[in-house]
Amino acid sequence: MQDVLDQIEACVPALRRYARALTRNIDLADDLVQDCLERAISRRGLFAPRGEVRAWLFTILVNLYRNSLRATARHGTFLAMDAIAEPGTPAPQPGHIALAEMARAIETLPLEQKEAILLVALEGLPYAEAAGILKIPLGTLMSRLGRARAALRLATGNPAEPHLRTVK
Amino acid sequence: MSEFTSDRLMAFADGQLPQDERAAVEAHLAANPEIAAEIVAWQRQSDALRTLFGPAGAEPVPARLRPRRIAAELGRRRANTFGWAAAAVVLVGLGLGAGWFARPLFDAEPSSQYLIADAVNAHTVFVAENRHAVEVPGSDSEHLSSWLSNRLDTNLGMPDLTSEGFTLVGGRLLPGEPSRGGRAAQLMYENAAKQRITVYVTAALPDRAPAYQFASQDGAEAFYWANARITCTVVGTLPEAEMKTVSRAVYQQLTEGDVARANWS
Repeated sequence: MQDVLDQIEACVPALRRYARALTRNIDLADDLVQDCLERAISRRGLFAPRGEVRAWLFTILVNLYRNSLRATARHGTFLAMDAIAEPGTPAPQPGHIALAEMARAIETLPLEQKEAILLVALEGLPYAEAAGILKIPLGTLMSRLGRARAALRLATGNPAEPHLRTVK
Repeated sequence: MSEFTSDRLMAFADGQLPQDERAAVEAHLAANPEIAAEIVAWQRQSDALRTLFGPAGAEPVPARLRPRRIAAELGRRRANTFGWAAAAVVLVGLGLGAGWFARPLFDAEPSSQYLIADAVNAHTVFVAENRHAVEVPGSDSEHLSSWLSNRLDTNLGMPDLTSEGFTLVGGRLLPGEPSRGGRAAQLMYENAAKQRITVYVTAALPDRAPAYQFASQDGAEAFYWANARITCTVVGTLPEAEMKTVSRAVYQQLTEGDVARANWS
């Protein structure tokens, strides 16, 4: 019992980071993490498998976030394509991505792509674990990642051949 | 165009390709600079995301997100639910009227235990807040005082802790058990080092008996007393000696309601 709490505690920073990236709002993010932890801790007796605590917590967090979006009817998932296709201003340094642009770009991704790319690129989770958290087959995860990356490149004004732009 | 699927290239970019397959991809990239550039672009995206959001994972974790605290809190809630269920069974057994009057007899712990627990809990929840630490700011202390006095049905002056180095941040109203003083007022003070203490006040308990108690709970020190007019719990995480000095100042001002009023008006 105690060491499940320790394992949960070890995951809190990652959960906060992921929630912050999803919501872009410190209060909403921490509320989400708190809900997630309360749910997890109140059910920890029913759940035991070792080593999967992280995936289990992320699953709860993702579900809570989806529910909260549904509840507030904020349809982050239905975003017009042209919002993504709008090219941003070029990054100041060739090949480098301006952070502000990336912050805006990640916002424009459909939720399913945002969830996936953040699990892999930000959290560094193995593909299999990320697919398990999102309850999708590996192939679906890979195609979401591919679409997310393509959309991010368009939105960060970093076109397909960045090496050409480095030539002065 | 490429003998490697984009999934494998992505796995390479994410460092998730098995070691023995990496060399083949590396050779392929050396021969195909445009694909190599693509992979670098993906990696820059990941870097940008980590730079943007990584720091959120390095911030100190607020108390409300500590698993042990949450576990303790859930346990307490569960115990309360169980307590009420048990009380209901007893009430039915004894008959409603008799049961109602006998109810205090079934309280295993004195009210002070609950009040201290509530005060510490409220302290931990609200000192962690920045924008929503209080409902009414201390700058409006006259309104705060009259509002909370009305709600608590007692005369509640805002203690002046300037000489202890604390200024009033503000206050809020909190729900409470009717049999244990009812609604509570929480006043929050802060010193120059941004350390916060809270003062948790309810109307007097039904027995109106004087009491005095120190407790250490969840890492916080609590100083509780009760008299015929109010109960008060001062909560903070300062060293014990400092907590005592502050608590004494609160005690002196709140037990003499008129003196406290004179101090701030």
